[in-house]
Amino acid sequence: MNQDLVTIIPWNVIAQICNLFIQMLLIKKFLFKPIREVLEKRKAKADAEIADATKAKDEALAMKAEYEQNMQEAREKANEILSTAQKTATLKSEEILKDASRQAIAIKTKAERDIEQEKRKAVNEIKDEIGSMAMEIAGKVIEREISEADHAKLINEFIEKVGEDS
Amino acid sequence: MNIDIKGPKVFYEVPFDIPILGRLQISETLIVSWLVMIIITGLCIWLTRGLRVENISKKQAFAEMLVEMADKFVIGNMGEKFKYMIPFVAALFATSLVSNLISLIGLRSPTADLNTEAAWAIVVFTMITAQKIKTNGFGGYLLGFTKPIAVMTPFNFLSELATPISLACRHFGNILSGVVINGLIYAALGVASSALLGLIPGVVGNVLSHIPVLAVGVPAVLSVYFDWFTGVMQAYIFCMLTTMYIANAAEE
Repeated sequence: MNQDLVTIIPWNVIAQICNLFIQMLLIKKFLFKPIREVLEKRKAKADAEIADATKAKDEALAMKAEYEQNMQEAREKANEILSTAQKTATLKSEEILKDASRQAIAIKTKAERDIEQEKRKAVNEIKDEIGSMAMEIAGKVIEREISEADHAKLINEFIEKVGEDS
Repeated sequence: MNIDIKGPKVFYEVPFDIPILGRLQISETLIVSWLVMIIITGLCIWLTRGLRVENISKKQAFAEMLVEMADKFVIGNMGEKFKYMIPFVAALFATSLVSNLISLIGLRSPTADLNTEAAWAIVVFTMITAQKIKTNGFGGYLLGFTKPIAVMTPFNFLSELATPISLACRHFGNILSGVVINGLIYAALGVASSALLGLIPGVVGNVLSHIPVLAVGVPAVLSVYFDWFTGVMQAYIFCMLTTMYIANAAEE
């Protein structure tokens, strides 16, 4: 038995509508769902990788900034140390120089004072010597009055004494 | 030469009558439809077996391409908000395509039965109408028939009805014409070969003239157009029009 070539049979129409929707569900379940899952997973993976890369880059940049800052700080510190050292050295050298000149002056004054003293001492000694010599000579002169004969003896003694003293 | 082009065979008929709907007939169309569904579902299962995220096989690449093509087709024609229509349009296209091409293996196409196309057209028409009501409201939908002037109402009504009918008949007519022309060609080639071989005298010619020698090869060339081209084309047109009509219905 055959159906007519062109005819509408309500049951068949209903059956075909059902078939179409069943087919839709089947395609959805067996083709779209698994494929979409895989695409989604791949997308998530790519996104995660991009995020990781971005994070790594950020970290690297942060590290670089930190490093540069550290370098800057170190350089500043070095400069500071250097300038401080220079300042200290200048101060110290100046102090040493001042000290030295002060000491030199002190030594000089002391030496001058010593020389002065010695000079005075020497002059006084000479004065004393000369005084005593004069006294002696005067005594000798007075003694000769007493004895002429002793005169020569006295001179000789004096010369001898001078010779011994000198 | 006698050509008898019949409708699909009926394998089983439910003995009782149901009012309006008549008797349920298990026809060739339904059986082949189920076969088509099995083929499509089997293909889907085969294509999506052993899916991987990375380092994909050619099979998976093809499956992904199919999904992306369906996405592009629906979103390109209807816009992003009709994403939920993708499986429906894909099912419509796949069913139509496989139904059209199944005639290549000698089965009767389910699409050479108006019931199939009528079913699809009813579904599409329902979707169009639902979309129109959703967009304009029920009153707006009814008012739409009186545009641009009230006199146009009957014509608008007719043109509204013409949509599913033309949708169904276009597809059905193309496929049926293929069936009819194939039948005619087979018959004609049978006659031609019998006439040609009948020229051989004696018993040999008598026997040989019953073998349609010309029917080998020549129909294959014609099937490039009537099966392959029409089959693919009609599936594409049906889906294209479906998406277009529904997208238009969504416009204010």
